[in-house]
Amino acid sequence: MSITGSVPGTDKRGIRELGGEEKVGWDEVTQGVAINSFIGETENAAFLKPEERSYSDFNSYTATVASWRIIKPVYNRDICIDCQNCWVWCPDTSIISRDKQMLGIDYDHCKGCGVCVEVCPTNPKSLLMFNEAADNDEELAGWPEKQKKEKK
Amino acid sequence: MAITSIKNLKEFSTNNDRFEGAHLLCPGCAHSMIVRELMNCTDDNLVISSNTGCLEVSTAVYPYTSWDTSWIHIGFENAATAVTGAEAMYKARKRKGTLKDPDAPVKFVAFGGDGSTYDIGFQWLSGAMERGHDFTYICLDNENYANTGGQRSSATPVGATTSTAQAGTHSYGKKEKKKDIVSIMAAHGSPYVAQLAPNKWKIMAKGFQKALETEGPCFINTVSACTTEWKFDPKDTIHITDLATDSLMFPIYEIIDGHELNILYRPKNVLKVEDYLGAQGRYRHLFKPENKHVIEQIQKDIDKNWELLQRREEVRI
Repeated sequence: MSITGSVPGTDKRGIRELGGEEKVGWDEVTQGVAINSFIGETENAAFLKPEERSYSDFNSYTATVASWRIIKPVYNRDICIDCQNCWVWCPDTSIISRDKQMLGIDYDHCKGCGVCVEVCPTNPKSLLMFNEAADNDEELAGWPEKQKKEKK
Repeated sequence: MAITSIKNLKEFSTNNDRFEGAHLLCPGCAHSMIVRELMNCTDDNLVISSNTGCLEVSTAVYPYTSWDTSWIHIGFENAATAVTGAEAMYKARKRKGTLKDPDAPVKFVAFGGDGSTYDIGFQWLSGAMERGHDFTYICLDNENYANTGGQRSSATPVGATTSTAQAGTHSYGKKEKKKDIVSIMAAHGSPYVAQLAPNKWKIMAKGFQKALETEGPCFINTVSACTTEWKFDPKDTIHITDLATDSLMFPIYEIIDGHELNILYRPKNVLKVEDYLGAQGRYRHLFKPENKHVIEQIQKDIDKNWELLQRREEVRI
């Protein structure tokens, strides 16, 4: 069993094993492997905002799952109260929130589950789900009006 | 320990996520909500190990990793053993003075699904608890082997249909009761044991921080609604968890030092268990007239358990 530390960026082993450049036999596949999330000296990521980090190609931040989506959330800044409910319950780390402010949605990592829309407390909701092919600006122009409370 | 503020959600949201997106968990999966919350609870370095399960296979799909911390996976059963090994090594190197940065705070955390906690990894977990390492074990309880197609586990509750305990003309699904893992772990003499749910984010964050702060082996059972096997719409994850905690199917409580039980959340309006069962596809067959008695039995068990928890809170045993 070989455990290899890899140099991110130069290591193409992953691509080869997945059948890209050159196929390997079943008994030639690396059995154990250590992969680095960041390039170079690793710091505690808790103190770095995502834009300050040096992600390596092995980090799934550099990948995308946008093709999973058939519906997408659209964000309306005018109604949002920055409660951060969507941030705490987003399963895909796709709500971009900086300095207590909600900035928008990370469409590379959003899978379109719709949890953020369900937990949004404003009236009308500041996040709504639309068809993936819809145009964000058009939908924002036709945002629903405030609904009156029917019961009570 | 560098605890992050959980006074309100705005302060909590200033934390930088260390669990990256583009992992391959199902849309709406509660696993990643729980993992994100744990990693946002503290600024310390984390050493995490995972049992095989949904979380492990979806967050480390070669050549990608979703973890911005140290993370290891070895086998189905040994997250607890792997992380306690790392902890023993850390202590030894600290004593010998061979650590590069001996003052940097490090926390050790293990994640396991219910299959690897209740069944397959139980012996390993029990051993790690007994040895008294300083780590926190978090069970992501989605009540079946969701990674392999929804087989029954000993966490599956009575009446649920799974791929190996199917409901049909002769059966109403699983007949055996769910294991009470929280009491079992408390009986190990663990300093902090709790059952928490992601819909009550503040209670959960407080519990996580308490477990990380507490020295010794801590165990936390978290309810993780599974959209695929519980059969509900992905957007309803938080709603289903609300129903679970408000119908007392999953009471939220902690046990300190094996005897001091505190109920952390008392629902204002306790819901009937029908509301929780009816919201999920895996219990649909229970609403047939011939299975009425099963729902009545489930409700009776829940009431009995809630009564027991309240009594235990009073008398502290």
